[in-house]
Amino acid sequence: MPEMTYSQAINEALREEMRRDDKVFIMGEDVGIFGGCFGVTTGMIDEFGPERVLDTPISETAIMGSAVGAAAAGLRPVPEIMFMDFLAVCLDELVNQAAKMRYMFGGKAKVPLTLRTVLGAGLGAAAQHSQSLEAWICHVPGLKVVMPSTAADAKGLLKSAIRDDNPVVFLEHKMMYAMSGEVPDGDYTIPLGKAEIKRAGKDVTIVATSLMVHKALAAAETLAAEGIEAEVIDPRTLVPFDKETLFQSVEKTGRLVIVHEAVKTGGFGGEIAAMVAEECFDMLDAPIKRVAAPSTPIPFASNLESAFIPNEEKIIEAVKAIL
Amino acid sequence: MALDKEEMLELYRKMCLIREFEETVSKFFSQGQIPGFVHLYIGEEAVATGVCANLVKQDFIASTHRGHGHGIARGASINKMMAEIFGKVDGYCKGKGGSMHIADVELGFLGANGIVGAGLPLAAGAAFANKYLNNNGVSVCFFGDGASNRATFHEALNLASIWKLPVVFVNENNMYGISMSQERHQNITDIADRAVAYGIPGVSIDGNDVMAVYEATAEAVKRARAGAGPTLIECKTYRHHGHFEGDPTVYRSEDEVNQWKKKDPIPRFGARLLEMKIMTQDEIAAIADEVKREIEEAVAFAQRSPVPAVEELLTDVYCD
Amino acid sequence: MSVGIIANPASGKDIRRLVAHATVFDNQEKVNLVRRILIGLQAVGVRNVWFMPDYFGFYDRALEVFTGENSLQMDTRLLDMRINADQEDSQRAATLMLEKGVRCILVLGGDGTNRVVAKGCGEIPLMPLSTGTNNVFPTMVEGTVAGLAAGLVATGAVERENALKRAKKFSIWVNGQERDIALIDAVVLTEQFVASRAIWDVEKIRQVLVTRSEPFHIGVAAIAGSLCRIGPEEAQGLNIVMNRAGEQPQIRVTAAVGPGLMQDVSIADYQTILPGQRIPIVETPCVIAVDGEREITLETEDEAEIELSMEGPWVVDFKQTLSQAVAKGLFRK
Ligand SMILES: Cc1ncc(C[n+]2csc(CCOP(=O)(O)OP(=O)(O)O)c2C)c(N)n1
Ligand SMILES: [Mg+2]
Repeated sequence: MPEMTYSQAINEALREEMRRDDKVFIMGEDVGIFGGCFGVTTGMIDEFGPERVLDTPISETAIMGSAVGAAAAGLRPVPEIMFMDFLAVCLDELVNQAAKMRYMFGGKAKVPLTLRTVLGAGLGAAAQHSQSLEAWICHVPGLKVVMPSTAADAKGLLKSAIRDDNPVVFLEHKMMYAMSGEVPDGDYTIPLGKAEIKRAGKDVTIVATSLMVHKALAAAETLAAEGIEAEVIDPRTLVPFDKETLFQSVEKTGRLVIVHEAVKTGGFGGEIAAMVAEECFDMLDAPIKRVAAPSTPIPFASNLESAFIPNEEKIIEAVKAIL
Repeated sequence: MALDKEEMLELYRKMCLIREFEETVSKFFSQGQIPGFVHLYIGEEAVATGVCANLVKQDFIASTHRGHGHGIARGASINKMMAEIFGKVDGYCKGKGGSMHIADVELGFLGANGIVGAGLPLAAGAAFANKYLNNNGVSVCFFGDGASNRATFHEALNLASIWKLPVVFVNENNMYGISMSQERHQNITDIADRAVAYGIPGVSIDGNDVMAVYEATAEAVKRARAGAGPTLIECKTYRHHGHFEGDPTVYRSEDEVNQWKKKDPIPRFGARLLEMKIMTQDEIAAIADEVKREIEEAVAFAQRSPVPAVEELLTDVYCD
Repeated sequence: MSVGIIANPASGKDIRRLVAHATVFDNQEKVNLVRRILIGLQAVGVRNVWFMPDYFGFYDRALEVFTGENSLQMDTRLLDMRINADQEDSQRAATLMLEKGVRCILVLGGDGTNRVVAKGCGEIPLMPLSTGTNNVFPTMVEGTVAGLAAGLVATGAVERENALKRAKKFSIWVNGQERDIALIDAVVLTEQFVASRAIWDVEKIRQVLVTRSEPFHIGVAAIAGSLCRIGPEEAQGLNIVMNRAGEQPQIRVTAAVGPGLMQDVSIADYQTILPGQRIPIVETPCVIAVDGEREITLETEDEAEIELSMEGPWVVDFKQTLSQAVAKGLFRK
């Protein structure tokens, strides 16, 4: 299996889907000659030309809205919003248009678009360029939400997202673009709604998303040295959510720690905790713990930003608190 | 309206101060001492300087991601600005904002902004407040050519025009929004043309001529204070550096950059002041020295200042 | 049989939108004007049209509608020249058109644009179309009509002597060298910057020289217009010296110094001037504005003189040209 970065895996998935289906096109700010603000779409304009790799003006409303229109009219747009924070300026198109069209029209429309956008802190990009706002999206019925944590997952899930007939929001973490991993060859897809056990264990279940999967794995490693076997689950897609894998794990371990980078208040961790509390209360041997960012905007100064982002120590602490 | 000698020298000095400030930031950024994104204003100094020279205490400005020049021109402390860019506790925002969020609301500086085009309605709102409070204040919004494609531009101009708000929309047309040249991002070349659609005056001026900027703003501010409503001023200019520090600038030619460097607003105004014998070569050198010293002090201030205490992470989310 | 088109993308949006009541003349409207001109030119048999390239792209934009059955039967081309987006572009374009042998140049812009074109066009006649509200030299003329008139001149269907008038001009001499020209007026201002170029503050005006003076002129030339009448073909001009602050005015007039901008001005003295006579300017340091645009900055030690000449650019009299064409039966099918 070839090694490639998370960024290259996404680039490859986009290329393969564009070669496979000429209805697929990408558009966004600086995705063409510039290759995207994080270099993810590098070289794509050379292969597909400006007809299918569209540089847009700084008009998020028009990017999102026209993607919805084009999707409803039979294309498969893959718009990019440069930073997830900027979703705030085009939420109507996502929330009131893309998400609801099918339902409002009595099942008579489909909106097969995949919105790619970038979340996460760690670059010192401060309050308006670092947020993890996935909970907002998950709250809106009609949207699917994908958060891959490895190069292989990114590739397989993006291909499925593009082939899906629903609007899918695909969330990439800016601090993972340079991470490398093995990616299966060929036309490799991962179904939406399928979690993966990233590490098996029997003492505690850690559910983590996006970059936090790596911190959870590192924590699990440290815990293992102390004889604590943590099972790390990456749901990979938040909507639809793979309850079965999670419940089976909780049944085995009886303990649950949830980790995400988004702020705790109103975060998706609350939803996961509620699912388990409602449906597997009997299996729990201890209260559920959430490790998440404090409910503050994201600070600029490096030391404050590090304090904001959940880390290995906090995960270990949470695990130990319920053992 | 005519400026006296001292005022002209001050315009020149301000531009030099902004230039030196940013060249210093550029240096420390490339040495890895400044985190995050840094967008420099080098080449565009005449705009902020010419505009802000018309403002008084109760006026507001709303700025952009490329905001250092706006802050300095408005009279912000360069020590506090530098400390903020370094992420230090003595910075304007206690190190919590960084380059893209420097603000001093008491000074009438509503902040740099990480969201392109966000300043336009904010400035309209500040103008509304001034009008509501009947304090004769105006507000100014700086924004880029790229920002003129945001919905906020159109909505803010429309609102300001129907409510006759005392606001001056200052477009900094540097011909690019990141990699997108103006000819690729809009079907017009003169953003001033868009004023027609909102029934307000639109003028297009040489944004590398500080006196042209000063004059046009003086008229627009006069009009705003008189209650006649908003104006759109398009300043044609150019950024010498990349969009952000580290930008490989694959989207423009060396030749184009060099052509624009010849129109650099600072030597250009300096040469005119020399011609007019308002300034001597010695004074130019003295200003350069003075500005250099001020910036060195700002850097020393920033470096001396501690990083914020970790408890600061949780403060300032709400008023008490 | 070829003509040239010089359209200035920067005209119609200077500070007079702010200091007077001028309207913004947006570039899309100029595109429409160019299209109308092309239709007019084609109708009278022009075969080649040269365009000045410009930063807005009038050439491509104007032509994009002429496709399929609407295709033009003319050869339209862009001059091969570098553009700097400054006024020298228009001057160089005019010179290149002269070299290409064009027989008439249509100019879209104001007094300032025509001044610059006049510096490069030699004896080629101009058909000036106003794209603003503050102009004396170009007239408000409908584009198709201007195209017809220019075309009739270019093809020779109407002879030059029946179609053209020669404009006057000023030469501005600075320290013995000819620095610039003006077609309508040269204004000496107690000002030290070119800055936003236009003139609106009459307090700063020290001296006004005009090549013509009519009561219906707009702009600083209106000050002359309110004193006496000098037609565009008369062999004289006018030199007006304004009062300094505090001096007793000889004459006070009120004039439309900008669109919607009436101002009272105090005049110390004025006299007619003759071709060849060099009139010294009354004050330095100063800025001299030519045809409404602050252009030349002078220091205390500089000496400048202004000279009237009858040898300005040739201009198409579109009304007379079209009347001649009708008289010759050229529009009869
Ligand atoms: C709403 C929004 N979209 C996109 C961006 C990313 N971005 C930051 S600066 C910039 C370009 C802005 O161009 P312009 O307005 O011309 O200002 P300039 O950078 O040229 O000063 C872009 C696209 C953003 N910060 N906010
Ligand atoms: Mg720009």
